Amino acid sequence: MMRQENKAFRTFRVMIVVLICLLCIIPFYILLVLSLNSPSRIYYEGNIFIPSFDWSNYAAAWEKSRIGLAMINSGVITFGTLGLTIVLGGMAGYAIARHNTTYNKLVFSLLIGCMMIPGIINTVPLYTLMRRIEAVNKLWGMILVCSALAMPSAVFIYTTFVRALPKELDEAAEVDGCTGFHAFWRIIFPILKPATASFVILNGFGVWNNYAQAVFFLQSREKQNIPQALSVFFQQFGGAKWHLMAATAVIAIIPVVIIFLVFQRQFIEGLTEGAVKG
Amino acid sequence: MSFPALLLYGIFFVYPLLKGIGMSLTDWDGMGTANFVGLSNFAKFFQDSRAMGDIRTTLIFAAGSAVFLNLVGLGYALLMEHSFRGRSIARVIIYLPAIISPLIMGYIWYFLLQPGRGFLYHAAEQLGTTFFLGKWMNNYPTTMAVLIFVNVWQYAGMTMIIYLAGLKNISPDILEAAIVDGAGSWQRFTRVTLPLLMPAIRINVVTNIIGSLSVFDVIMSLTEGGPGYATESLSIYIMRMCYGSRTGYSTAVAMILFFIILIPVLISLYLTKEKSDA
Repeated sequence: MMRQENKAFRTFRVMIVVLICLLCIIPFYILLVLSLNSPSRIYYEGNIFIPSFDWSNYAAAWEKSRIGLAMINSGVITFGTLGLTIVLGGMAGYAIARHNTTYNKLVFSLLIGCMMIPGIINTVPLYTLMRRIEAVNKLWGMILVCSALAMPSAVFIYTTFVRALPKELDEAAEVDGCTGFHAFWRIIFPILKPATASFVILNGFGVWNNYAQAVFFLQSREKQNIPQALSVFFQQFGGAKWHLMAATAVIAIIPVVIIFLVFQRQFIEGLTEGAVKG
Repeated sequence: MSFPALLLYGIFFVYPLLKGIGMSLTDWDGMGTANFVGLSNFAKFFQDSRAMGDIRTTLIFAAGSAVFLNLVGLGYALLMEHSFRGRSIARVIIYLPAIISPLIMGYIWYFLLQPGRGFLYHAAEQLGTTFFLGKWMNNYPTTMAVLIFVNVWQYAGMTMIIYLAGLKNISPDILEAAIVDGAGSWQRFTRVTLPLLMPAIRINVVTNIIGSLSVFDVIMSLTEGGPGYATESLSIYIMRMCYGSRTGYSTAVAMILFFIILIPVLISLYLTKEKSDA
């Protein structure tokens, strides 16, 4: 009797989970449908869940939205930001974890204290600074802005990770004649891989998807990242030509979805571990 | 070795933050000379009915998002806690929306919900009713509800992952001991599970509050702050004031937003700390 109740409950639970999954998936499906409707189709005639399979939308969207260029820009910004933050954040995290000086403690508290301040709070003064050093509409400028925003997270992750490493590693490096930066780069950095992975997982998509800073720092059409390109493209149509807008949106989310699906196991595990430590 | 990280962070985060305090006391328009005007920007802000509406919108959005993200995320986590076939796939699907740019997510829901034109409007029409889909933009409560819904829909997977990590950390022995002591399932949940989940609750509540009080992307794509300025958030207001050459004023608004974020964050840190010690 007890068993049967359990079984019924289990079926019920699976049904609810299936419903939740449908709720998460259906908007993406409808986006696909919209992106494949021909412009001449009288919307919502017949079975609205079946598109008219007009693949030419994708070619037109690709050309008109210049989303390809935006993807390259987003890619450069994301790799540049992650690379810079990993190197600087890794070095800082290592130094803070190993040398418990007042200076290092201060750096750590400053970064962690500011961790909770969202970028929008200082974006306007930052914008005037960026204009003065001619960093607006430059990919390197955006990389520096995004790196500063991601730095506390990197330093926090690396510091926590290095603290858990045995000190013998540093000594082994010194015996081999490596000191300072060299020891860090050759011996310590490769060991930090798991920390690097969780930093990338926690911050990668955020940099790729950044819009609140891109609005300020990437206004020229040549330097737009993906969200900025999409919003400009969409505003241009003022709500018309949904087939092109939807096709552009599909193109824009494909790289993210593929990367997520390929690395989903590491991704979910990384998030889970990050949550436990945080 | 922590100096390079500090230098980058100092220039591109801390310096503009401090600079903003000074700028907020001027009437600078971004080009000409800045005159010291004392606290008059702050006075102007509190007399501006558009700004007061933005505060209301920001607070309602944040409160709704924080409450529902946590309830729904915890609900999902409790459903997904025990293993069943397809659990890992379900976890990936539920998390999927969270990796996509909230700007793009807003556009997707715009295609679905646009009054009189959206996909769901037409789908509902075929069923013979349009529910509230034809007029949700006409009144403030339904517009806010839609914005909160889209935000919760997108990020419930993220809170779920963190709650799952928290649940995994609760030892089954403690729950068994509670059963032996005669605790019912509701008592076990409120007296054992919830207190032990406090670290996860803390992370979720704090990140949700910070994220939703600085909301920008999803409102830009779904309503552009409209109709009129009804659903404009403070972040959007800051951006528009900066573009409107009211640079000094927009930094003053950013200072105000800083405190609007700081206060609830400190309160929730305090509340969740008390209980985890008990």
